[in-house]
Amino acid sequence: MSYPRLLRRTLLYIGATAFALWVLIPIFLIAISSFTPPNEIYAWPKPIIPSRFSLDTMRFFLNSYGVLNSLRNSILVALLTLAFTLAVGAPAGYAVARFSFRGREAFRLGILITRMFPTALLAVPLAVTFIKWGLYDTLIGVALIHTAMALPFAVIITTGIFMGVPKDLEEAAMTLGCSRFGAFVRVALPLALPGLAAAAMFTFVISWNEVFAATILTVNNRTLPAHILTTIQASPLYFRFAGGFFMTIPALFFMFFIRRYLFHMWGGATAER
Amino acid sequence: MRRFGIIALALLVGSVAGLAAQKITWMSTQFVPIAEAEFVRNEILAPFAEATGIEVEFIGAEYAEFVSRVEAEYEAGKGEIAVLCGLHGDFVSVLDALADLSEVSPGGTISDTLMKLGQMAGKQAYIPLMQATYLMVVNKKALDYLPEGADIWALTYDELLQWAKNIYEATGVQKLGIPAGPKSLLHRFIHGYLYPSFTGYQVLAFDSGAAVKMWKYMQELWQYVNPAAPTWDAMDTPLLSEEVWIAWDHTARVKQAIVERPDDFIAIPSPAGPAGRGFITVLAGLAIPETSPNPDAAAELIEYLTTPEVQVKILQGVGFFPVVAEAAGAVPSGALQILAKGVSAQAASPDAIVSFIPGGISDEYKKIYKDTFFKFVIKGEPVDVEFLRSQATRLRELYLEAGAPYPAPDGG
Amino acid sequence: MDVRLRKLLGTDTLLPYWLLLPSIVFIGVFFLMPLFNAIMLAFRADNGAFTLDYFKKMVADVRFIEALKYTFLLAITIVPLQLITALAMALLVNTGFRGSRFFLYLFALPLGISDLAAGLIWLSIFTQHGFLNSILYSLGIIERPIYFISYQNTGLTFLAVVMAEHWRATAIVLVILVAGLQMISKDYLEAAEVLGARGWKKVWYVILPMLKPSLQSALIIRTIFALQTFAVVLALAGDIIPVLAGEAYFWHFLYRNSHVASAYAVFLMAISIGMTWFYLRFLRSRMEVIRG
Repeated sequence: MSYPRLLRRTLLYIGATAFALWVLIPIFLIAISSFTPPNEIYAWPKPIIPSRFSLDTMRFFLNSYGVLNSLRNSILVALLTLAFTLAVGAPAGYAVARFSFRGREAFRLGILITRMFPTALLAVPLAVTFIKWGLYDTLIGVALIHTAMALPFAVIITTGIFMGVPKDLEEAAMTLGCSRFGAFVRVALPLALPGLAAAAMFTFVISWNEVFAATILTVNNRTLPAHILTTIQASPLYFRFAGGFFMTIPALFFMFFIRRYLFHMWGGATAER
Repeated sequence: MRRFGIIALALLVGSVAGLAAQKITWMSTQFVPIAEAEFVRNEILAPFAEATGIEVEFIGAEYAEFVSRVEAEYEAGKGEIAVLCGLHGDFVSVLDALADLSEVSPGGTISDTLMKLGQMAGKQAYIPLMQATYLMVVNKKALDYLPEGADIWALTYDELLQWAKNIYEATGVQKLGIPAGPKSLLHRFIHGYLYPSFTGYQVLAFDSGAAVKMWKYMQELWQYVNPAAPTWDAMDTPLLSEEVWIAWDHTARVKQAIVERPDDFIAIPSPAGPAGRGFITVLAGLAIPETSPNPDAAAELIEYLTTPEVQVKILQGVGFFPVVAEAAGAVPSGALQILAKGVSAQAASPDAIVSFIPGGISDEYKKIYKDTFFKFVIKGEPVDVEFLRSQATRLRELYLEAGAPYPAPDGG
Repeated sequence: MDVRLRKLLGTDTLLPYWLLLPSIVFIGVFFLMPLFNAIMLAFRADNGAFTLDYFKKMVADVRFIEALKYTFLLAITIVPLQLITALAMALLVNTGFRGSRFFLYLFALPLGISDLAAGLIWLSIFTQHGFLNSILYSLGIIERPIYFISYQNTGLTFLAVVMAEHWRATAIVLVILVAGLQMISKDYLEAAEVLGARGWKKVWYVILPMLKPSLQSALIIRTIFALQTFAVVLALAGDIIPVLAGEAYFWHFLYRNSHVASAYAVFLMAISIGMTWFYLRFLRSRMEVIRG
């Protein structure tokens, strides 16, 4: 390897490592904070590595009033959102990917525009409507607005996924006697499944992370972020740190599984280069 | 003989069935947070049902819901709600709909002063149930810096300023804490403590010369307040972390600090200003609507809730203080006693100016007080009388729009 | 079953419309209708009369100017920072060195982290006895903790919020840019190299111009979401730094006036639409931008 190439390569790795540290260090610090004994959180100066590894802070967080309940709510809302989004969005994605019909471009454009809209703000008027409909302070109500936020992404991602499933295969199945529906279920769906799972996870993460709408639309049935946000300034620091770390865990996990599909929703040509 | 036995048995069964059939609804603007509602249902109402056979369904409600429901039932001349619990101000808004409770006897001795507060429109509109207040909690380390001649049980605002200044000059850090976060009770500090102490009123003298002096004082004091104050909603955490040594807040919001480290803290009365020692008494009471389907069972519940045992239970469970004399002595030792000592010292101050929480008006009044604080104190802009005047006008409009009286100390 | 389903759905020409129907209905009920309601709530009094009172109240609010100022300041500070950082990361990854895909995954991690969590993560760094102060003190640089989160030093507090948001939301820009880079045809790049464009020249004259639609798309999305910044500010700075979305939330929750809250929401949406229009009007290649 020539000297300039070696230099170039070294610089690349230094740059990449620097960025990686920038991303990772804060996550590392919050993880440390969550496993520091509560009394050491206030120690001055605080050691970077605590004197002992302790589950007390996490335990305090999980046992705090309302946390487990809101955790359950968060999971339920995210699952409902996921179900609504796929049920409503995937057929649309399939239609856009498979058929050419009048209004297709208009629909795509409409979806792309809603993606750029601050949908969470719509929670303010929705609160008034939901009170009338009996949906205020319900998990379904929160899931509905989360679905509205996730829907454009789901349509775009599923379009990309179904485009990646060759149309020929489905047609071949149909010539072999499969019905259109049967061909979809037996041929297209299995091939699209990993992509759909990624879309589902992405939807889950959108809902899991959303704060504004969830806080506006609930009083007692708070999701975890809404619960943390509304009690934040009255909670001890170690509660906040444990909460911050706890909310981050699923993100790390899901990001790992959907990393190949991330680029679909922004028009990336293929999943893998 | 056998026949008699059968009759007795039938009577017994009948009466048990009759008892079990009693079910009443209790609507309340207090104990609304889930934890408190759970406490009331499991610890207070379950034993009551066991003892009397009266099952009580507890419904927590926001102020607006409370008022509209009570009014609707009153207008319909028929109702489902048997008994009500609310703040003094909540009852002011629905006075017509309340029955006279002169005949109802509480389970303990409630002082005349407190009972009189419940007498409105020529009737005993409600029976006091519990009270809360806001006071100061001090880390004992701060006592070394107390200005000379200052009596910690009768502090003035000037002495507080000097005290905080002493600490700052000795340690280099601002150890005074006032909750000024988005969901803090800062507005209570302004309308129930500062204003009455400096001007004697919470509404009437909003834009007076005394008020201008008060805001200037606050600007000075603010130099010694921990600069993270606008991120705090409750003071127990900063007290425990020792980010502050002196803090003002609601009893329920400092309780945790004293419970965790009772040897390190004392609770003391809020300071006095030129006009006196302004402080808020949060008084919650019980009432029976005219349309109550079961006033007898309701009266029984009221009697039960005002027994000393239940009063102490409420103090331990949710941190509201008893109104009956017998319970005052029954306060358990330790943390709650420290708090109780401060509360009673404050209540017994000779220069007391008792303020009430506004009732029946839009919650926007909180914003008026908080915004004025934001502008003059947090932003540090010069005290501007014109601005005070416009805020005062808006504040009075809120009372006018709602047809609500100014709360004590301003009026009735 | 399928014959009946087919009859029900009609021929293939109708099928796509049936498939689209649920999403169109959903968007109508949970997007267009609340949008309409927001405007109605903001402009109509309880008795149904048209009024500008709620907007007047919003503008007269002591905190309004502050909130407006900080909302814009945050957006114009964070967005360019993010574009530059993400571009650097994307170009780095795009060189395709060994392990670049692993690094891409690391860089994209914050994408799954909420603004609330990000606020709390950075709180552990910036709080009075936090990591930053502890490190500075241990190194002997400071004698006592600096209040990074302080009303007395809103500049530092603002900087803390910027750092948290910059850290969290750069990932989304990165993903958009990497997706854009993937779409640049290899032929172009090879042609460019044949013509002698290498290294920085290639980036500047070939890649960047072709990446423009992605850059613009990222610019729009990030600006709009930066305008909504809320939880990270509340978590880190409490009441020290007011922002518009936070004011909407306070009016709704603390002061219980859904009219003024809606006025704030409508105002924010109007700014968002205005910004999008501005970008589309003054930056070329409109359609591509929306498509991103």
